[in-house]
Amino acid sequence: MYLNHLKPENAPHGEEYCTSMIGKNTHRWDGPAKVSGTMEYPSDVYVPGMLYGAVLYSPYAHANIVSVDTSEAEAMGAVCLTYEDVPKTVYNERSVSTPAGTYRDRIILPNKARHVGEPLMAVAAPTEELAYKALHALKVEYEVLPAVYDPEEAMKDGAPQLYDKIFLDEEEITVKNNVGVVRNIYEGDVEEGLRQADRVFEDDYSVGRIYQAQLEPKAAVVKPEVDGSLTVWGTCQSIHACRQLLGFLFQKPLSKINVKKMPFGGGFGSSIHVNTVIPICAALAVKSGKPVKICNTREGDFYSHNKYPTKFHVRLGVTNDGVITAGEVKALVDFGAHQIQPLPYMGCTAGWFASLYKYCGNITFEGTAVYTNKTPCCAMQGYGNPQVNFAIESMIDEICNEMGFDPIEFRLKNIRTIGDEFWAQGPTVRSIIKSSGTEEGLIEGAKKFDFANRGKFEDKTGKIRRGSGVARGFHASGTGGPKPGEVIDYSFATVKINEDGSVDVLTPVTDHGGGTWDAIRKIVAEVLQVPLDLVGLSPADTMNTGYDVCTHATRGTYCGGGAARNAALRLREKLFVMAGEMMDEKPDDLEVVMDPKQHQGCVQVKGYPEKRMTINEIARNAWIWSRGTLVHSESYRQKNAPPCFTVHFVEVEVNMETGVITLPRVLIYGDCGTPINPDLVKGQLVGAFNRGLGYTMYEWLPTDEETGALLNKGLFVDYKTPTAYEMPKVDNLQVELCKCYEPSGPFGAKGIGEAALASVQSAISNAIYNAIGIRFHEIPITPERVLEALKEKEAQA
Amino acid sequence: MNTRFLEKEYDYVKPATLDEALDILAEKENVKVLAGGTDLIVKLKTDALEDMDIMMDINSIDELCGCCINADGDLVIGATAKISHLEKNDDIKAAYPALSEAMHAMASVSVRNMATMGGNFMNASPVADTAGPAMCYGAQVCLKSKKGERTIDATEFFLKPGVTAAEDDELLTGFVIPKPADNTGAAFVKIGRVKSDIAKVSITAVMEREGDTVKSCRLAMGSVAPKPLFLADIGAGLEGQKMTEELIMKTADQIRDFVKPIGDHGTTAEYRKEMSGLIARDCLMEAWKRSGGELA
Repeated sequence: MYLNHLKPENAPHGEEYCTSMIGKNTHRWDGPAKVSGTMEYPSDVYVPGMLYGAVLYSPYAHANIVSVDTSEAEAMGAVCLTYEDVPKTVYNERSVSTPAGTYRDRIILPNKARHVGEPLMAVAAPTEELAYKALHALKVEYEVLPAVYDPEEAMKDGAPQLYDKIFLDEEEITVKNNVGVVRNIYEGDVEEGLRQADRVFEDDYSVGRIYQAQLEPKAAVVKPEVDGSLTVWGTCQSIHACRQLLGFLFQKPLSKINVKKMPFGGGFGSSIHVNTVIPICAALAVKSGKPVKICNTREGDFYSHNKYPTKFHVRLGVTNDGVITAGEVKALVDFGAHQIQPLPYMGCTAGWFASLYKYCGNITFEGTAVYTNKTPCCAMQGYGNPQVNFAIESMIDEICNEMGFDPIEFRLKNIRTIGDEFWAQGPTVRSIIKSSGTEEGLIEGAKKFDFANRGKFEDKTGKIRRGSGVARGFHASGTGGPKPGEVIDYSFATVKINEDGSVDVLTPVTDHGGGTWDAIRKIVAEVLQVPLDLVGLSPADTMNTGYDVCTHATRGTYCGGGAARNAALRLREKLFVMAGEMMDEKPDDLEVVMDPKQHQGCVQVKGYPEKRMTINEIARNAWIWSRGTLVHSESYRQKNAPPCFTVHFVEVEVNMETGVITLPRVLIYGDCGTPINPDLVKGQLVGAFNRGLGYTMYEWLPTDEETGALLNKGLFVDYKTPTAYEMPKVDNLQVELCKCYEPSGPFGAKGIGEAALASVQSAISNAIYNAIGIRFHEIPITPERVLEALKEKEAQA
Repeated sequence: MNTRFLEKEYDYVKPATLDEALDILAEKENVKVLAGGTDLIVKLKTDALEDMDIMMDINSIDELCGCCINADGDLVIGATAKISHLEKNDDIKAAYPALSEAMHAMASVSVRNMATMGGNFMNASPVADTAGPAMCYGAQVCLKSKKGERTIDATEFFLKPGVTAAEDDELLTGFVIPKPADNTGAAFVKIGRVKSDIAKVSITAVMEREGDTVKSCRLAMGSVAPKPLFLADIGAGLEGQKMTEELIMKTADQIRDFVKPIGDHGTTAEYRKEMSGLIARDCLMEAWKRSGGELA
């Protein structure tokens, strides 16, 4: 029968998917396209007649452009874009903070280079080959200026100045001594708290500059339409942020800019802001009047964004009975040549620090972020969380060792947990913790790992020293709260029942590869009790969706999924009204159930399941009788940002002769509330462990102070990330998901993505201490540094 | 520099026969040979190659891609045989363990699937992992041109970084590696940043044992000199000596004191020097053990 063809035997997974799928492993919706190479990424987009763009990156760390000559490139048939051609609107490419909390300091193509790799000019030509030839034909005369690479040097009088003026919202700000942002936060009375302590611990910690190393270098295609509007396909974590920025830069109504949602090859924070190639591509398209495509090079990407390096000075007061009485963190952030943006970075860092322990309410955070002539820094999986976690969780380990506390009990005594306040994204985004897996992770994990029998480093001998360490962390799921804070947070979803009872979901939320889209489909399937394989994901763009801030802040499932759940709930009410009319029942008396035999969702009378209609029958009748489409759109804000918790137990083996460290055994506890798709959660925890391992032991991006260039020249050849080979063997890498339910989350779910990284660094470093008795205050902990430290220790003894 | 695609314009030729390839080398200027491309393409993308007008892909030449034991019992490796095939070859594993280990230690699976020993030699990096084992096993490098054929001892092949003894018109066609004598033990030890990395430092030892004395010993190191370093004198110095732990420690110290590495992005000069002695000790012990020897 027409439009009644959905049968169990035609379902791709048979009856398997005709039951609740929340908490069960399901096949990824995008898996087959990804593994077969047919998924279309921005770099695969082809628009007839399009030109190919290429970007000229600055060879100098600090230089004025004195003159440019584009005649030769133009004679080759290239369209050239210089400072003269671009809007002079000063912008910040990151718009998740409110405008009042956003510093602006850059334009699309400046006439002054402030770091090696700064985009200065661009060309577009009918082929990419010609574009690069034209790029080489550009003649630029520079006035090279002295540059500064060290944040402390940069703050000194007489140091080269990167900026005179920048903007905070509409206000013009004078930059003094390269200090971009100062952010101080005080709660309680730290000095009084320290006086109440029996011991005060004080130390410095430092985390290095690394690169996000996502698989996909950024790409963009911008097509100018006949009516003056722009259609955009780009590497975007937020299509709406991209649309807003282009509207702002090109002074167009948002209705004239449509950004298409695309799959993308990972972000790790590097696409929360609008990528630099997108406005350049748009400017080329506007100037040439033709569609333009830019695919960035890997080296261009290395010079576009790094992770924030930060130096911390920490003081913690502790009583003899194991209570932390005060905590103080002073942070110095070297954020490079542009702000993307250190103000919320420091606010978040303060929040992660403040939310780790209670400190008897005595908290001070003083942060200074400084301009240097280096690659601008942006978010990277944690936004200050892994950085400050390394400092605090290292010091906690030191306190336990020095004062003889059990590291599990000491943490349990001081943690913020259910009922306590949590600063989700800085001091203005606060909510009360309603679920916590920390206790399970610490207590059960210690047993499973046999942590109590790790021994003391003093008793360890031989060439290979084995040690164990623990650390705990978290991240917020989203940036919501009871009141609006300095971070914008709401999302959107449309859910629609088709004429055959299948369902389409439309969401502006992007998926970095963590499986957010699958989670959203599953949440909708669960609300409507429709088999998962009948739920489709609609192509989305900025014109057919409401605003979503960005898939950042571990918010995809919690906030995006929350919006989808709410839209589905409202749609279910409409379904009951329509079904009630067809069945002659009150909507309130109806419920939905899944029927595996018919492979359909059904509406039935509560307590009288014999009276039911399949959703197919309802939707099909609605079509035949011209009753309209069952559809609901919802703009939705989560009023919490619940922390998702992690606990890492790590065992290391340190080779005393080579300094080489290996990881024989790792145990990870992850609390994401209800895991919508457990294997994908575990995958994130394992993947993040690998990235944390790189951060702790292998990766760093030193600058050549002669030239201002990265020593690795922006190439992976000299930037080594660990592979599966450096990880513990599969059987020795155990991942447990805490038994937790978050009352405010969709079906109890929270996030996991950034929490998964937070405590990796400190757990590894604490394990190294347990093995050899050396506390590292700086990462990466390379074999060279281990050997040097061992020698120093020997010399002291 | 642009790693997205190759900007440089050049002719690409893929001769089907060895003669054809040698004709091209004899007649054309600025020919670069493509074997696996794992170094050549990187150099092309990073502007490290200026003088290439022709890229000659030799992967269609059948006689270059094989690997076998010849009538004399020697190992013959063709210039384009893939590292991933060679590292799994049972003959190599059994008789030339140091070579097999060096190949397994190279880069990542995907790189080894493309890379060749011929390319590793012609690239002439001081880091080249197969150079040490080849030199220690007494490999002969086979070169052929229109003028004729010749072989060079592997220890004489490398001149300085990126420069070999091969003439511009000569093609490296393969290697002949003599069958190791009975009671030979060999090992290869490498330290890198991560598994898929080039060596911070590497060492090869091939030792022939007679009772409890060293009948012969050949040693070579990577990443400690401007070219792969054959430690002729230190190896020869062990000949006829009774093997003891003290001898190994003394030799390791001697090696550490002898090498003069530099520091670079991979590691420091001090770390290289210190590790040289350490891996020398481990490598000598393993090679002696594999030769059937025991330590007094």
